[in-house]
Amino acid sequence: MTHLLELNGVSKRFGGVQAVNKVDFYADPGEIVGVIGPNGAGKTTLFNVVTGFYAPDEGTMIFDGHNISGLKPNALTRLGMARTFQSVRLFDAMTVLENAMVGRHTRTRAGVWGALSRSKRTIEEEHHIQAEAEKALSFFGNRLTGRENEMASDLAYADRRRLEIARAMVTGPKLMLLDEPAAGMNPAEKDGLIEQIGRLRDEQGFSIVLIEHDMPVIKGLCDRVVALDHGEKIAEGDYDSVASNPQVIEAYLGKAAASREASL
Amino acid sequence: MMSRFPRSVNVGLLGGFVIIYLTAVGMIEAFYDRPIITGYLQFSVALMILNYLFTGYMAAKPSKDGAAPKPISAGMIAGLTAGALVGFFVLGMTVLAELGYNPRDMFVSINPASLDILSFGQTAALAVPIQALLGAVMGLAGGYLFQTAKEARSYVLVGLATLMIAALGAPLFAVMMDGLNIPSRWLFDRDGLTIAGAIVVVAGSVGIKWYFNRISFAETVAKVPGVTKKNTNLVLWAITGVVLLMLPWVVNTFISDVLGTVGLYILLGLGLNIVVGYAGLLDLGYVAFFAVGAYSIAVLTARSSFLVGGSVTAPAATGFMNFWVALPLTVVIAAIVGVLIGAPVLRLRGDYLAIVTLGFGEIIRTLVLSDWLKPYLGGPQGLTEVPSVPLGPLPARDPRILYYVIFAFVVLSYFVAIRLKNSRVGRAWAAMREDEDVAEGMGISVIKYKILAFVMGAAVGSLGGAFFAAKLSVANPGSFTLLVSINVLAVVVLGGMGSIPGVVVGSLVLVGLPELLREFGEFRLHIYGGILVAIMLLKPEGLIPDARRARELHRDNPEKLPDPILAEAGGLSE
Repeated sequence: MTHLLELNGVSKRFGGVQAVNKVDFYADPGEIVGVIGPNGAGKTTLFNVVTGFYAPDEGTMIFDGHNISGLKPNALTRLGMARTFQSVRLFDAMTVLENAMVGRHTRTRAGVWGALSRSKRTIEEEHHIQAEAEKALSFFGNRLTGRENEMASDLAYADRRRLEIARAMVTGPKLMLLDEPAAGMNPAEKDGLIEQIGRLRDEQGFSIVLIEHDMPVIKGLCDRVVALDHGEKIAEGDYDSVASNPQVIEAYLGKAAASREASL
Repeated sequence: MMSRFPRSVNVGLLGGFVIIYLTAVGMIEAFYDRPIITGYLQFSVALMILNYLFTGYMAAKPSKDGAAPKPISAGMIAGLTAGALVGFFVLGMTVLAELGYNPRDMFVSINPASLDILSFGQTAALAVPIQALLGAVMGLAGGYLFQTAKEARSYVLVGLATLMIAALGAPLFAVMMDGLNIPSRWLFDRDGLTIAGAIVVVAGSVGIKWYFNRISFAETVAKVPGVTKKNTNLVLWAITGVVLLMLPWVVNTFISDVLGTVGLYILLGLGLNIVVGYAGLLDLGYVAFFAVGAYSIAVLTARSSFLVGGSVTAPAATGFMNFWVALPLTVVIAAIVGVLIGAPVLRLRGDYLAIVTLGFGEIIRTLVLSDWLKPYLGGPQGLTEVPSVPLGPLPARDPRILYYVIFAFVVLSYFVAIRLKNSRVGRAWAAMREDEDVAEGMGISVIKYKILAFVMGAAVGSLGGAFFAAKLSVANPGSFTLLVSINVLAVVVLGGMGSIPGVVVGSLVLVGLPELLREFGEFRLHIYGGILVAIMLLKPEGLIPDARRARELHRDNPEKLPDPILAEAGGLSE
């Protein structure tokens, strides 16, 4: 079968640092794939390469039948890829609703003439954008709904993460890439997030790739886990096989578990 | 910073220095000729009084570390200190002059005449008690003012402000009233107010404030029969429109001319606001689009002749085109220049973008000055004999008529600005301004929208240039300096970045006010600078801030925020 996203031998260097080294990767429709690895393993760089923020130095990338090497982020969003950021990056001085509405940009068309004439079509399109945005906000129950006119900067941290996901949902993606969605959340919020990401796949039909340090989140969600270290893929498979892989334990789990023990 | 003096003394010293400074630059002497209440109160004396009042008020305010002084005594001590400082200054300068060290050698304005004003015509020795007494009394009043209820205080402030504005604008207002055949002699006497006038102005302003405190202006309008809740806004707009349309016939031609210039800056400001305010691209070379507009209209319509190599030659590009045909062409040309300037700076951000656009502004000016383009653009002399806006039988050189033409285009551009802001395009710009990378990640083509911002900014701004050339009937390089870019940027920033009404207010304050202050001659820029600094200190987000910007600047103090759901932001739900 054809994969939704397929990477073959993708590499990215920064000067002398090999951030991503000949990584093969794929994601199928309706799949949740977890990407794990210690800090500096190249997870976020891989995301940035996939989503067009960095151009790969070598390798091929196919998304939904298109060769996406060298495409700009906005072109990829149009093809159906949406992402969130490790450090939440919202449009802080815009309202919650406006943030979500921006997401619909790539699926709508009104330009300067539409804006000036405010024709029937433009007005209908604006209504459509707003409806899509509100629908996405309502995905998180009353956490975002009812706060549409608040400034994004005024939201609590977890809600900011939720709004980022909502904004990505509005772009109408096939594949969603979530960069550490559970970071900074408390256990109850994490449980809610696991349930919500599951629903994203089950109800919305998105494929999801997520980077996560939080093992319960990975375990609770992922159909498949890929482990990276020093820019290379060191293991791939279901959670249990990857978690028990000695290379992974050495590179990541042992250290992380130890530091988690210490920080508790 | 710690100081050995109590805070009230420090504030007082500052207040005293203000008067000494005003004396040294010559304002005290010059403004003695300018009456507030003719025969009773001179402007420079009013300045002293207001300064002591303000000093007392500031001393009574709790300091930043939270220590709250006793308002009345703190105000009095501050005023006394300020007055005493001024008094000793007079005494000291007089003694210095007696000893042969004339302070006039360095400060021309520290002369017997101005020192005489400060000592109210008495000997220098008496200046100390007189100024100290005046300072103490007014400082005490300032302290008391701080202590009173906020509402009562606002009445005093409104009364004082109206009195000063009415008196300083007396010549202007008198002309306006004469124009409307309203008798003005009882109100104004020469350049100031009469006693009766002063009382009427203060009582009138306080009365009006009292009335509209109880019931807002909009509510008052809504009470008029025939006005329903639904069309209140429409009626308010209609009233504003009628006032603006009547304005040229109320004021004299000079003021109409000034209003025309203000209109040009509103056009430029609205254009730059798209680039800087909406899209967040700091353009320091905006004058380029102004020049392109002016030169395009000149080339297309002017019948110029100028000297090339000693002989009179007709320039190659004399279009003799009708203005109304040339205007859309000008906008198109400016839009193309917008693309040309926008394209090379696409990859640049922030400071780098600003520097490069600054360069583009200069490039355009240099091109215009160049020998290469001299046969077409006239080099340093520029293009002359640009015909005025053709309006059939109407006298187009009349500033009042031109006011209407510019007014119509300001309304048009205002409309364009609002519609763009509340649209998918405006949202894309806002997202780009907030975070360029993320905007791109959300599907916005940053390249397309950057160029679009430059194109729209250029198109609107070129209108300003076109009318500028038609108004002055020339287009020459001297009008397109860096200073224009800075002035337009100041208009946008002062009004509030991204705010559309802010551009209008910014233009009135920055372009209209200096013209009206012309009679203050050499102090014009001085006062202008002072006002600018004061506004930026007191309202850094601009006079009429955009709801978003206000958030950014007052994040730590939510009380100061305007309602986030302003009419502008609500434009989507239509």
